[in-house]
Amino acid sequence: MTQTAAAEAHWKGGASPFGVSWQKLMMWLFLMGDALLFAGFLASYGFVRLASGTWPEQSEVFTMALIGTMTFVLITSSATMATAVGAAQRGDLAKARRFVLLTLLGGVIFLGMQAYEWTNIIHEGARLTHNPWGPPAFSSFFFMVTGFHGTHVLIGVLILAITTIRLGAGKTTEEGVELAGLYWHFVDLIWVFIFTLFYLI
Amino acid sequence: MEGHTSYRTYWMVWVLLLILTIVMIFVEAARLPAAATVLLLTIAMFVKAGMIGTWFMHLRYETRALVLAVVLGTLITAAFLWFLLIPDALATLEMSPR
Repeated sequence: MTQTAAAEAHWKGGASPFGVSWQKLMMWLFLMGDALLFAGFLASYGFVRLASGTWPEQSEVFTMALIGTMTFVLITSSATMATAVGAAQRGDLAKARRFVLLTLLGGVIFLGMQAYEWTNIIHEGARLTHNPWGPPAFSSFFFMVTGFHGTHVLIGVLILAITTIRLGAGKTTEEGVELAGLYWHFVDLIWVFIFTLFYLI
Repeated sequence: MEGHTSYRTYWMVWVLLLILTIVMIFVEAARLPAAATVLLLTIAMFVKAGMIGTWFMHLRYETRALVLAVVLGTLITAAFLWFLLIPDALATLEMSPR
């Protein structure tokens, strides 16, 4: 087949245009939609921040060492997840299971640190409607954005727990691990944006 | 398309992501002019996101159609939110009585 003919066959849907299983395609579609949820959040945060004129100095409100450690834990859990997927692709399901468990542990540590961060900030008087540092929208966005992300981590931990159990029972395929991995990396990806746009800039 | 990234590559990406994160924290703490801080951090953010997508999410092994659909689809739609909605919202704010 010439290159043009091959391209035509692809774009007319004769072959599988994306070259992936429907499960993986659906996961990507879900992740795109989910990415836009966070894009909406961050865009409205950007607008409100521009419109309010003043914004608290984040390094005075947040403990950067804690946020840095949370980021470290999440990136590390992403690397262990990638290793788990790699092991599953090579057919080493025992190793895949060990690394999924490590990833799950990373997720739990992240959630613990986030709970600690929230507790501190609530003790300092931050609520959805007001906070001691200035524009009320600041703490509102803080709780909404990190809360939605934290919920995603929590759901990720549940998915990883199910994957661990199913791997033990021999029920999860290599692609099952990969799809759980796609979701987990996505949660890490979103954190990259939140970390930069909300905590640093 | 079957892709086998070596375990070593994953951990190299991990090291690079950590280095970039540390650089970002230093850039923020360096008190550069606001525009420079925003520009540098935004570049680092997209580099990190690209690395996660390329190696961890295996986009480098997927078909070009999937990569374009996912990456451009998300970026263009997200850019609409930023660059069309925000100016409009700011203009509405200007017009509204205080």
